[in-house]
Amino acid sequence: MNKIAGKIKYIESSDSISLLEIDTEIGGMCAVVVETSETAGYLKIGREVYVLFKEIEVSIGKNISGMLSMRNKIPCTVKEIKKGKVLTRLILKCRSKTIKSVITTKSANEMNVNVGDEVIAFIKTNEITLMEKSDG
Amino acid sequence: MKIKIKKILKGKKGNFSLDINISTKDNTVITIFGKSGSGKTTLLRAIAGLLQPDKGYIEVDGKVWFDSSKNINLPPQKRKVGFVFQDYALFPNMTVEENIAFGMEKKDTSFLEYLLELVSLEELRDRKPHTLSGGQKQRVALARALARKPDILLLDEPLSALDYETRKGLQDELLKIHREFGLTTVIVSHDFSEVFRLSEFVFVIDKGKVIKKGKPEEIFIQERISGKVKFSGTVLSIEEDETVFIVSVLIGNNVVKVIADPEEVEGLKKGDNVIVATKAFSPFILKV
Repeated sequence: MNKIAGKIKYIESSDSISLLEIDTEIGGMCAVVVETSETAGYLKIGREVYVLFKEIEVSIGKNISGMLSMRNKIPCTVKEIKKGKVLTRLILKCRSKTIKSVITTKSANEMNVNVGDEVIAFIKTNEITLMEKSDG
Repeated sequence: MKIKIKKILKGKKGNFSLDINISTKDNTVITIFGKSGSGKTTLLRAIAGLLQPDKGYIEVDGKVWFDSSKNINLPPQKRKVGFVFQDYALFPNMTVEENIAFGMEKKDTSFLEYLLELVSLEELRDRKPHTLSGGQKQRVALARALARKPDILLLDEPLSALDYETRKGLQDELLKIHREFGLTTVIVSHDFSEVFRLSEFVFVIDKGKVIKKGKPEEIFIQERISGKVKFSGTVLSIEEDETVFIVSVLIGNNVVKVIADPEEVEGLKKGDNVIVATKAFSPFILKV
């Protein structure tokens, strides 16, 4: 699980779904949650939260051009690679933090991912969970 | 129910002071959660009148049972309490039916039949306790507690001596009894999933004091999370599979497998209680 601290910057809600923008240690991130400020008190601008996402939900792009609907695009450098038969686990450096990604080994081979590569990590907004910081 | 009591107990290891303040709506199920020696059982004994607080106030169902400022202290037999213990405490020489009838203030055959049916013991009515299983014994103890037509049900770790399946059956039984009678119920429990299943409110007690109170999910899920699909369960196994771990979690009667990162399973071991959460976007719904 990736867990990054941040602060809520923007909220836009329908009746029960909200899109949030969070300033985090790895840049601006977006999340869609089935909550609003009314149903979850901590969903307020300025509140400190953790942004959680599974490593398996982090896709990797190299030399990407064109348009993509994913709102979370985080530039990173590949720091470590651990290849299994089916799955490969990558540790990516982003600013002062690291995030983890698990992709198929087939993709890792086709993309020729190497340590030191500049890549973009992609995470869909619906895969991001917010957790209230218990100390804030 | 309102309880505000103080009591200093002298023990070999020094004095223990109980200083409890609990207030809850009538007809709800609450859990008293805490380590052994934290004062849980002492509190139940004080409610039942088996132990007199030094000072304070106990009110159940709108009736004052104890008020040190007005010298009110109803004896145990005047307090309408149904008490169930971990070790059942049945009379060995009496049959199931006699054990239950013993709890009654006056003979009431139709209520006795009703209770036997409620806890599914009609067939075993003439049996002696030593011929019964643990679960059956505890059902007798429950029926005997209800036979008094109590205002409050006190359950002191009632299910902790039973195996998982029996415990689950008895939890259903307790929920059924609560729906039927709507009694204010105080359960002392160590069991995390039991607290979630049975009670609406939890008081965590440590060293004779309430240190936390709230709904089970507020008490046991330390951080609030926006995931909409959340279950509590117990870790059955953690297996490494090359780059990831596969954690099997028992949720109710189902085993759920969750893919986890090495860092996520650090410090996690078999038997740990966990929350399995995912977002409302992820699950499929398939009609069966």
